[in-house]
Amino acid sequence: MMACLDRHRVSALLQNARLAGVLALVLMMLVMTGCASTPRLAESTQRDLPRQTLLEDVPFHGQRDYQCGPASLAMVLNASGVPVTVDTLIPQVFLPGREGSVQPEMLGTVRRQGRIPFRIAGNLDAVLTEIDAGHPVVVMQNLSLPAWPVWHYAVAIGFDRAEKTLTLHSGMEPARLESFKRFDATWARSERWAFVALPPGELPATGNGQSTLDAIADFERAQGARASLPAWEALVKRHPGLAMGHFALGNARHAAGDAAGALDAFTDAVQAAPDLAAAWLNLGLLHRERGETDEAREAFERAAALPGPWQKQAKEALADPTTRT
Amino acid sequence: MMKKICRYLSPLLIAALVLGSLPVAAAPASPGSDLITTQDVLTAERSQGDRERISAVLARDDVQEQLVAQGVDPAEVEARVAALSDAEAAQMADQLEQLPAGASVVGALFAVFVILLVTDILGLTNVFPFTR
Repeated sequence: MMACLDRHRVSALLQNARLAGVLALVLMMLVMTGCASTPRLAESTQRDLPRQTLLEDVPFHGQRDYQCGPASLAMVLNASGVPVTVDTLIPQVFLPGREGSVQPEMLGTVRRQGRIPFRIAGNLDAVLTEIDAGHPVVVMQNLSLPAWPVWHYAVAIGFDRAEKTLTLHSGMEPARLESFKRFDATWARSERWAFVALPPGELPATGNGQSTLDAIADFERAQGARASLPAWEALVKRHPGLAMGHFALGNARHAAGDAAGALDAFTDAVQAAPDLAAAWLNLGLLHRERGETDEAREAFERAAALPGPWQKQAKEALADPTTRT
Repeated sequence: MMKKICRYLSPLLIAALVLGSLPVAAAPASPGSDLITTQDVLTAERSQGDRERISAVLARDDVQEQLVAQGVDPAEVEARVAALSDAEAAQMADQLEQLPAGASVVGALFAVFVILLVTDILGLTNVFPFTR
C-alpha cells in the first residue's frame, strides 16, 4: 500500500512523519507510564491479610542458561513434597527449539509429577492470598518491553504490604525483593499468568468452584480417577452445592472400589441438581450392579425423562430385561 | 504313546487357556468400566461432542510432531502431550510458535539496551539487576 508513492506526496509525507513521530513518542510514554502505576489492593485483602508473610521453606534452585521454567517448577514441586530435581524436569518441560518453556507444558509437567496446577486470577490480591495460605505462586513475567520480550518464570514466596514489595525466587537470585509497581508492570505483559501447584486434597485459597473443578478434571484426565479422589473429596467439602463435584467424586470412589460411597455421592449430585441426567444414569447403573432393581429403575426413569446426550442410554437401560423384573 | 502325550498335554493346555482368558474375564468386572465418566460429561457440556473430540485427538498428534521438530527427545514426547488438557493441547497445536517461552535472556542490541536501561530506571521493566 505504501510501496508506490509519487514525489509530491513523499515530501509532504516526510513533514508529516516528523510530527507523527513526535506524537507517537509522547503517546508511547503516556501509555507506558499509564500502565505502570502501583497496583491497589482490594479492601478485603488489606483487611484479611497480615502486613507481611514469607514462605521460608520454599527451596531455591538457581537457573542455568534458559531454564527458569524447570527451576521454578522444581521449587514449587519441592515445596509441595515432590523431591524432583531440575535435571529431571528439563527433558519434561524444556523446548530446545524455543530455548524456553511454554505455559501449557508448565501446567502439564506439574500433572506428570502428581500435583494439580491451579491457574489463579490475574490480580495481586490473588497472589498475596495464595502466599498467605502457604502456596508459593509461579508467575510469568516479561521483564522487557513487548517489542523485545524477555519471558521469565519466577516463584513468588512472600510480600510486605507496608513496603509494597513482593519477594520472589527469580533467576539466579533467591528471595529477590521487587516493588509491587515493577512486578505488576512486568507481570501484566503475560496477561498476569500465574498458578499454584498443590497435592490432591489441597485446594487453592482463591478461585471459584467451577475453575477448581476444571483444574481437577484436567488432572484426572492425565493421572486417573484414583489419584484425584482426595481432590474431589476436598472440592465437595468446600463447595457442597456444586453438583458436578459430587458426580466426579462418585466416579472416583467407584474407581477406587467404594460402591457405597459412590452411591452416596451420586445421590448428593442429584439432590444438588435434579436435572443432572448423567448422575441419575450412573445412580441407576450402580443400583443395577448391586441388584437393587427398583431403585435402578426409578433412577433410569428420571434420567430418561431429561432431554440431552444421556437420554438414549437411559431409555436403553430401562428396556433392558435386567432392569424390568 | 500318543495317548500318553495327550494325557499330560491336555491339562497343561487347559490351564494355559484358562489363565490366558482370566484377564479378559476380569476386565468387565473391574469397577469404573461402565459408568458415565466425569470427562464424558464435561466434554458433552462444553462442546458438540464427537467432532470436538476427534479434533482434540488430532491436535495431540499434531503437538507430538511439533515437539519432535522443536528438538524434544521422541521418547519423552508422548508423556509430555498426555499430560496436557484438551484446551492446552489445542492451544499448543494452533500457536506453538507464538506462545511465549520463558527463558529470560535478552537479545543484546545497543539501541534496545539504551531504551531498556531507561525503562528499567523508570521501573517499567526489570532487565538489568544493577538499576535497582
